[in-house]
Amino acid sequence: MNELEQLREAMRATEWTGRASIDVAAVMRTGRRLRRRRRLAATGVAALALAVAVGVPVGLRSGGPDPSRRAVPAASAPVERPTPTPTPDLAATRAEPAPRPIGTVVRSGIRYGADERVFYLVPVDVPDLPQVTIGLVAGRRTATGELVSDYLVNDVSGRDRRPGFHEIGYDEPGPSRPAAPTFGYFVGPAEQIIGTVDGREIVARQARWSEDAQVVIFWFDPKALPPGVRLDGIIARDAHGRRL
Amino acid sequence: MARGDAEFVEFARAASRRLVHAAYLMTGDHHQAEDAAQTALARTYASWSRIREGDAYGYARSVLVNHLVDRWRRPIREYPTEDLPEQRADDVADAVATRRWLLAILGALSPRERAIVVLRYYFDLSEAQVARELGVSVGTVKSTSSRALEKLRSSGSPAREVHGTCR
Repeated sequence: MNELEQLREAMRATEWTGRASIDVAAVMRTGRRLRRRRRLAATGVAALALAVAVGVPVGLRSGGPDPSRRAVPAASAPVERPTPTPTPDLAATRAEPAPRPIGTVVRSGIRYGADERVFYLVPVDVPDLPQVTIGLVAGRRTATGELVSDYLVNDVSGRDRRPGFHEIGYDEPGPSRPAAPTFGYFVGPAEQIIGTVDGREIVARQARWSEDAQVVIFWFDPKALPPGVRLDGIIARDAHGRRL
Repeated sequence: MARGDAEFVEFARAASRRLVHAAYLMTGDHHQAEDAAQTALARTYASWSRIREGDAYGYARSVLVNHLVDRWRRPIREYPTEDLPEQRADDVADAVATRRWLLAILGALSPRERAIVVLRYYFDLSEAQVARELGVSVGTVKSTSSRALEKLRSSGSPAREVHGTCR
C-alpha cells in the first residue's frame, strides 16, 4: 500500500462507529433563525436606523431623524451588527452642503437608468476620534453630472488608516433610491478581496484611492451579493495570493 | 412536517456522520467537529429551498470546510475521548495508533492545507473541485497535496509508529 492509499485508508478507518450526535431539531431551529435574520435584513427592518443614519443627503432632503439618534455601522471583518455610536459632523449638519469628494470619484459601471453608482471619500469629523478624518460614500453620478450621496460609512473607533478592513456599508433596498452594493475599504496591498456568504466566495471589485494607494475601495456586484445580505466573512489577498 | 423539512431531516441524518468526521480530521476535537457540522447543517437548512434540488451535500461540505478554515486557528492535537474509532483494524491498539498517526500528519498542516487534504483524500474530490470549493488555484491544491504526502512519507506508517511507541 503506498502512502496515498495509507492516508485514505486511515481517514476512513478512523470514522466513528457511534451515531453522530447531531440534534437535527436544534439545527432546524438555528436554520430558521438564520433565515428570519436574512429576511429581516432584506426588508430593511434590521438596519433601518443604520440606513437612515448614513444616507446623509437623502435624510437631509426628507427631514431625517434627530441627528443625536443617528448611528453608524460597526461592521468590519469579521462582520458584526451595527452599534449606536457618535456620528460624524457630516451627518449632523443639516445646513451645510454635502462635502466635496477628496480625490477621484471611482466609477463602478453599475447603472440605474441614467445614473451610475460611484464611490468616493469625504472628510468627516467624529467626536473624540481625531484619527478618523475620512468616510466612504456610495453615491450616484446623475446624467447632469451631479453627485448624490446615498450611504456613508466611516470608522467609529481607532484610526481610518489602520491596516486591514474598515467599516463595511450594508445598504437596504428601499423605495426612494437604488440600494448601494455592499462596499467598504481596506488599507494595505490588497490585490483581491473575497467575501464569503454561506460558504460561497464572492470576489469584490476594487479600485485604489487616488490620494493614498494603500486605501483600496471595494464593492460587491449586487447580482452576486444582493444589498442587505450580510457577509459571513471577508479576506484580502496580496499579489502572491497570500492572505493579508 | 412540511415535505421540504422531512427531506432535510433525512438529508441531515445521512450526511452528518461524514461531515462530523471531516470536521474531526480538521480539528482533532470531536466536540468541536460536531459543533461545526451542526453549524454547516443549520446554514444548509436556512438555504434549503434554494439548494434542495441541487447538490445539497456539496453545499453543506463547502460551508463546513470554509467555516473551519476561517474559524479554526488552534493547532490540531488529539483530544481525549471515550469513543473508539470504527474497528477496521485488527485491534484497538492499531486503531489508536492509526488515529494518532493521522492527526500528527494533519497537525503539521495549516487549516487551509488540512482542508485541501480532507477534501482531496477523504471526500475524493478532484483537484479542480477542491480549488473551486476553497477559492484557491489548482496549483495550490497540487502543491499542498504534494507537501502533505512528503510529510506522510517522512512520518512513516502507522504500524511503524506503533512499534516505535512500544520500544
